[in-house]
Amino acid sequence: MSGLPHSSLERQRRRAAWLFLLPMLVVLTGVAGWPLFRTVFFSFTDATLATLDGFQGVGLDNYLWLMRDPVWWRAVWNTLVFTVVSVGIETALGLGIALILNAHLPGRGLLRAAVLIPWAIPTVVSAQMWGWMFHDLYGVVNAILMGLGLIAEPRAWTADPDLALPVVIAVDVWKSTPFMALLILAALQMLPRDLYEAARVDGVHPVKVFFRITLPLIRPALMVAVLFRTLDALRVFDLMYVLTGNSRSTMSMSVYARQYLIDFQDVGYGSAAATLLVLVLAVATVLAVTLGRVRVDAGR
Amino acid sequence: MAGVTLRGVRKSFGRIEVIHGVDLDVADGEFVAFVGPSGCGKSTLLRLIAGLEEPSGGDLSIGGQRVNDRPPAARGIAMVFQSYALYPHMTAYDNMAFGLTLSRTDKGTIAERVRAAARQLQIEDLLDRKPRDLSGGQRQRVAIGRAIVREPQVFLFDEPLSNLDAGLRVQMRLEIAKLKADLRATMIYVTHDQVEAMTLADRIVVLNAGRVEQAGTPLDLYHRPRNRFVAGFIGSPAMNFLDVVSEGRADGSVRVWLPGGVPLDIAVDGAVDGAVPPAGSPLTLGVRPEHAGLADGGAGLLATILAVERLGGETHCHAALEDGQRLLVRLDGDRPVAAGERLRLNLRGETAHLFGPDGQRL
Repeated sequence: MSGLPHSSLERQRRRAAWLFLLPMLVVLTGVAGWPLFRTVFFSFTDATLATLDGFQGVGLDNYLWLMRDPVWWRAVWNTLVFTVVSVGIETALGLGIALILNAHLPGRGLLRAAVLIPWAIPTVVSAQMWGWMFHDLYGVVNAILMGLGLIAEPRAWTADPDLALPVVIAVDVWKSTPFMALLILAALQMLPRDLYEAARVDGVHPVKVFFRITLPLIRPALMVAVLFRTLDALRVFDLMYVLTGNSRSTMSMSVYARQYLIDFQDVGYGSAAATLLVLVLAVATVLAVTLGRVRVDAGR
Repeated sequence: MAGVTLRGVRKSFGRIEVIHGVDLDVADGEFVAFVGPSGCGKSTLLRLIAGLEEPSGGDLSIGGQRVNDRPPAARGIAMVFQSYALYPHMTAYDNMAFGLTLSRTDKGTIAERVRAAARQLQIEDLLDRKPRDLSGGQRQRVAIGRAIVREPQVFLFDEPLSNLDAGLRVQMRLEIAKLKADLRATMIYVTHDQVEAMTLADRIVVLNAGRVEQAGTPLDLYHRPRNRFVAGFIGSPAMNFLDVVSEGRADGSVRVWLPGGVPLDIAVDGAVDGAVPPAGSPLTLGVRPEHAGLADGGAGLLATILAVERLGGETHCHAALEDGQRLLVRLDGDRPVAAGERLRLNLRGETAHLFGPDGQRL
């Protein structure tokens, strides 16, 4: 049928397809395409928030400055550490929780709903909640740890440069593990029971069953979940901003870009940082999809 | 090789008992088929033998050893699943070898056993393929191969052919028969298809609602069904059942009155002696469609043909007796009969069965 590109039926169907796609294309261009284009455009100018109409092209100047700013590199490093550690822990924990939820437990449905709560709370709200819990004077974390005798004096969890990033990672793990667990659980529930019975008849040890049967079979779904979480983690903003403000010890690339764009009103420079962030995301995605052989459709 | 013995085996899921105390002896090297309608417990019984379910009561032995507390892998069994249950990410070879590699069998032995099984099943060319690149019949062979390489004492088949199309099913049925002759192992085969059971099994166990209705050779079940359930389940098309009135017993046979006032003498076994109801009591007459012939002369049971189904080799006549009772009659393929015609039927007493009000055969 596709061998006749000029048949009138084929033309009609193409026209209908484009007609259906048009609303989405228009909306996407408006809300994603245009802002992205503006950001990339501004990154080659000296525009400021006050003078958005009067700017001059500065070529690659903004990028060259960025390359020489140790704070930017600190932000890149923070973001990478945050991403690798938090996604790593979330994957391991999520896998464990999914395996438990997949077992035939009484009250499993309730447990599943309960697990999802951290994911359902808006990040700003949960970050603020954790911010209070980690408060150096009134926080419940200090109170409990001191009560147990684990620490002698209150810690400034979110202000201490050595503790701030681990705290941010811990909160992200708390929040995002349910997402991982549910995606993995969905994959686990697709696996036929017969396979496990065949393995029992074959006398395969449960640990081997996990590594030789379960893990290879849920790998496609697992890789998609890891990719989603990685992209999310690379552009992390709200957690850091609410918990630690613009502190350099936890500043992510997004926080850095926002600081220049809004606080310093340097639209050109901030746009350059934002553009680099998009590039990093794009590279990470391409790497993950090709190296990890992730199939985004996740189907077989 | 080993036999399988079940003594008072029960199984409950929660408060519902699905297997009500089954006693069964499967001899060494015997091929036994479990048949019965859906939900009769035949698969559950097989899974109990496999160790995939734990019995709620009773004893289960394989090769003279009580295996109630042994895991499936330690029972000397291999199982072929209805869905094949092949590991989708492994090649056919790895699927067959997987169980052995983990039991630390020497690599050479594994390769030898897998190749031998593959040769036996004619899948040597397919060993490098993954299940998704195999047809249904080929997958089934790989699944059987996986069972063979384990060299089990007892093979368990759970409806292995029901996912195949009709032609392939006949072919695989022949191959399983060949396998049975080659391996000489004990085999237990669950199926809802009584033709498979009749053609493959040395002995058939008919199950209904978690109880054994009858166990016996295929022809035993066909000729001497113990009760109405077995009579109706074994044989295709199914046996006709007619309401008749008893006239009492004489000389090892019972005379009954068919609709229209036709008498018929039916030999009774006396197996269920003393149970013959007195004259005038209602009984059920069982006549297989192939045993209901056309009467030669003017005598016989009058019937009106409602519909004719021509299968080429045979003709199925759906007929109604004078009192409206329905009857299926199997005639020759080219017998000139047509709907609306009236026939005189000859039901021979020696091939008919009588069932009491409790469903037991007299």
